[in-house]
Amino acid sequence: MSDPVVFSILLAVLLVLLAAGTWVAVSLLALALFAMTVFANAPQGLVLATSLWGHSHSWSLASLPLFILMGEILLRSRLSQDMFSGLAPWLGRVPGRLLHVNVLGCAIFAAVSGSSAATAATIGRMSVPELTERGYPQSLILGTLAGSATLGFLIPPSIILIVYGVATEQSIARLFMAGVLPGVLLVALFGGYVSLRAMLSPSIIPEESQSFTLREKLHASRRLIPVMLLILGVIGSIYSGVASPTDAAAVGVILSTVLAFASGGFNWTSFREALMSATRTSCMIAFILMGAAFLAIAMGFTGIPRNLAAWIGGMELSPAALLVALTVFFIVLGCFLDGISVVVLTTSIILPMVEAVGIDPMWFGIYLVLVVEMSQITPPVGFNLFVIQGLTGVNILRVAKAALPFFGLLLLAVLLISVFPGLVTWLPQAMANR
Amino acid sequence: MIRRLLDTLYLAGGAVAALAILAICLLVSAQVSLNILARVGGPAWSYTIPSYADFAGFFLAAASFMALAHTLRSGVHIRVNLLISRLNPRATWALEIFTLALAAALSAYATRYAIGLTYESWDYGDMSSGIVAVPLWIPQLFMDAGLVLLTLAFLDTLVESLRARRPVIADAGES
Repeated sequence: MSDPVVFSILLAVLLVLLAAGTWVAVSLLALALFAMTVFANAPQGLVLATSLWGHSHSWSLASLPLFILMGEILLRSRLSQDMFSGLAPWLGRVPGRLLHVNVLGCAIFAAVSGSSAATAATIGRMSVPELTERGYPQSLILGTLAGSATLGFLIPPSIILIVYGVATEQSIARLFMAGVLPGVLLVALFGGYVSLRAMLSPSIIPEESQSFTLREKLHASRRLIPVMLLILGVIGSIYSGVASPTDAAAVGVILSTVLAFASGGFNWTSFREALMSATRTSCMIAFILMGAAFLAIAMGFTGIPRNLAAWIGGMELSPAALLVALTVFFIVLGCFLDGISVVVLTTSIILPMVEAVGIDPMWFGIYLVLVVEMSQITPPVGFNLFVIQGLTGVNILRVAKAALPFFGLLLLAVLLISVFPGLVTWLPQAMANR
Repeated sequence: MIRRLLDTLYLAGGAVAALAILAICLLVSAQVSLNILARVGGPAWSYTIPSYADFAGFFLAAASFMALAHTLRSGVHIRVNLLISRLNPRATWALEIFTLALAAALSAYATRYAIGLTYESWDYGDMSSGIVAVPLWIPQLFMDAGLVLLTLAFLDTLVESLRARRPVIADAGES
């Protein structure tokens, strides 16, 4: 059989499995087993066992449960409650005013938690009632929340970048650093858009009568400051090379536990809940990663990714043309699959093709995360949309409409890092040259 | 009675996994403290926990496998329910039975070969390559135990769904 036929059969099998509601990890394992049995000649059972074992005990993957645990602990501490009151006094005079609480709150929370759904839920629970009560326009409240919550994927420590790094054997520390500037860029784009909207039609933004002295501002954000120091400490220690991501994650867990207890409202019951929740989430991701690892190996036996890469290489496509095609493909894929599944499927099938046209795999990781972020706010399957619908009771399509400008801004960010790849590569290079 | 026994088993697996994650955290933090000590005190104070990275990896494997069944029963493993949620209850039920049977078969298959791998590691006396050489069959036992639990959980859920005539796992709906 020719490769395109085999590839189409495999794709069809995968889609049927997924559509039938088979767990993503199980679908990947079943597809890999099917591919190896039908299209390759190898001892499937043995390869399955060795890939399950070989891809479950890596040192760099050990940072995954730890960063998830750190987020779960801070989620249950008073940090989330203090986010609004801590940020609001600083933003009264900026055009767009308290809408920026959504953007900045999400950015800060994104830095401690890798999940964008958790970010949307935590920040939204606090900010949506406050902003609605003050009379901010609903479309902007929902849009900023849905858009900014996707920052969780990009700003380190990012769960999805750990997944990408482990699956493609890239340095996770370098990937984290590569995500910093694009993350800042997105915050600036989102904030800039809100300000612009506010300046174009000032009447939609309510007045903030209260003004604060610097002392009052600092007092209001006294509980946010230790958390921001914690984040800077984690990112800084990875950047300076003092600690590996796993080291930084372990210390991050200890420090966030101390912070959570010190700020009150956190007890051993919350700690146990955080630990069990982190155990489940990290198990879910590890299971998908194992499925993806086995799929990648099975695909290697069939030779499809290699031939596909050669075929794409033979077309002498420019990297730009390939990226445009892939972006459309990922946005469609992301409409139906969650971010982590999109990433692992990509790494096992598409990465050889991407490397064949000379795209830097580290840059591609950041690009992929941006595209996956877009998929979080597109119907019908956009996890942020679900979360916000659950939170506010507003219909998912209206949330999606409110988030549309932010989808556009994410697309703009993809364009910007494509035109200026230095946005991604400069910081990791600076780190390596120190 | 059996219901309670099984649920306790899954939860126990989850608890072992949680302890393994705590162990990673404490082990790595201990090493980081030693690194800080070496920076402050000079080379004379430099200590390394032997093979700590290997051990962190083994704990991670134990955590990932031991929690599989508990995670499944909590509805946290991701699946696409866009289509199945729109079908009529009978079709939804039929698909649930199909996916559970497929998953149970696959899980049993993986368990069989994982145990085979562990047996080989024991038979050939395979050791980890670090300073402290650990016989590989020991950490691999957790993979086997976790997969046995997962197979059990799939079969259990299959029987439960067949009896209840509807899907029994609630979706936690997180990403």
